[in-house]
Amino acid sequence: MKIQFKTEGGFVYLPGLNKPVIIELADLPRPEADELQELLARARFFELPPRAGKPAAKGADQRQYKITIENAAGTAHTIFLTDVVADPNLRRLLDFLKKKAAPASRKK
Amino acid sequence: MCQRTYHRRSIFCILPPYVLSKISQNGSPQQRDKALTTMSTDSTLRALRLAQVPARLPSVPTRGMPVEGQKQRTIYDAQHTAELPGDIIRKEGAPPCGDVAADEAYDALGATYDFYWNVYERNSIDDEGMPMKATVHFDKDYNNAFWDGFAMVFGDGDGDIFNRFTISLDVIGHELTHGVVGDEAQLQYFYQAGALNESISDIFGSLVKQYLLKQTADKADWLIGAGLLTARIKGVALRSMKAPGTAFNDQLLGKDPQPAHMKNFVRTFEDNGGVHINSGIPNHAFYLAATSLGGYAWEKTGRIWYEALRDKQVRPNTGFQRFAKITLRQASRLYGANGVETKAVREAWNQVGIKTS
Repeated sequence: MKIQFKTEGGFVYLPGLNKPVIIELADLPRPEADELQELLARARFFELPPRAGKPAAKGADQRQYKITIENAAGTAHTIFLTDVVADPNLRRLLDFLKKKAAPASRKK
Repeated sequence: MCQRTYHRRSIFCILPPYVLSKISQNGSPQQRDKALTTMSTDSTLRALRLAQVPARLPSVPTRGMPVEGQKQRTIYDAQHTAELPGDIIRKEGAPPCGDVAADEAYDALGATYDFYWNVYERNSIDDEGMPMKATVHFDKDYNNAFWDGFAMVFGDGDGDIFNRFTISLDVIGHELTHGVVGDEAQLQYFYQAGALNESISDIFGSLVKQYLLKQTADKADWLIGAGLLTARIKGVALRSMKAPGTAFNDQLLGKDPQPAHMKNFVRTFEDNGGVHINSGIPNHAFYLAATSLGGYAWEKTGRIWYEALRDKQVRPNTGFQRFAKITLRQASRLYGANGVETKAVREAWNQVGIKTS
């Protein structure tokens, strides 16, 4: 299973941080892989509509997160989220991915 | 008719206006008095209903008291969660609460309010005394600040790349100006209109800082977000109006992508069609006009841009060239078609590759 996580928008456009972060489930340490799979199941990721978060109709400088997950069979599902997510399960999934994608953890 | 969520006193719905009218003509003095009061309230509500504006009972004001020149700030603490607005940490008139980000936000909202009021006689975000709300400590290690359409939200930064976003007065002025732009022009947040929206926020964000520091155009740094990047990042700020494209050049962040001229306009689907990228072009035009005229930038160039923003010709899809023409129209109106101000604005747009005639 391949997870693609991309942060878009925000106060400033930083070309260096604009690339999607790709997480291969198989490459994660076992506890993290288990945690991620549980988060996906709890959030019912593959059943979510593409715009699961609060739509950013008004406002400015808001961030949007694009999550694409490809399962073993090659089927991909994509959702878009903003920072404010009402569903606590989905919120935990987003937190997990944000942490994995944090620039501080990327620079090594 | 009475389907709205607030309670409307039943009499306003039950008695048709012609009955009230009859009472006011033929009733006893007391009856007439009451009927007249009811009629005036009634017609107000009917007019509001026609105008599709929800009538509000006086007991539940949702806006600030319309006292001119008085600010109403509320700072909320999200306590490192992504839930809005968070808990109130400081209200208008309260002494500093000791939380650095909250006190910075409080002071910066005050400085932004004072700038708009003292310079352009604008009473807050909507020019009707709208209370200003800001949330600090949003999320964990959050490298962003945004306007959600109703309030400002500030992250603490991750401490690694970004410091806390309340550190820069121009960033706070920028966010509040998004509210002003939303109130005046409803510029779409895509492509050139979006870049114009961003540029106007940068311009007035910078002017808030210049006004507080009493800096003339030649003394200002014209930077957005100075102090926001940590010492390990190679960069002075997030954007430069004086020299777009030079604010940062770092191994991790990449190079500041802003163009200063139309010939380098960036066509992209990223960043809502480059709203934070191509804003460098109108930003630089403002800088050129302001430094060419000299003195305090908010007095003349700022006034021209402010009047242009409020011009009814600004449409949701207004692009750079159309906006440039509107600034010229406003410059001519304020200072005459042959005024040095009008010439400076025309020349500034010309220098960034935007022809206005």
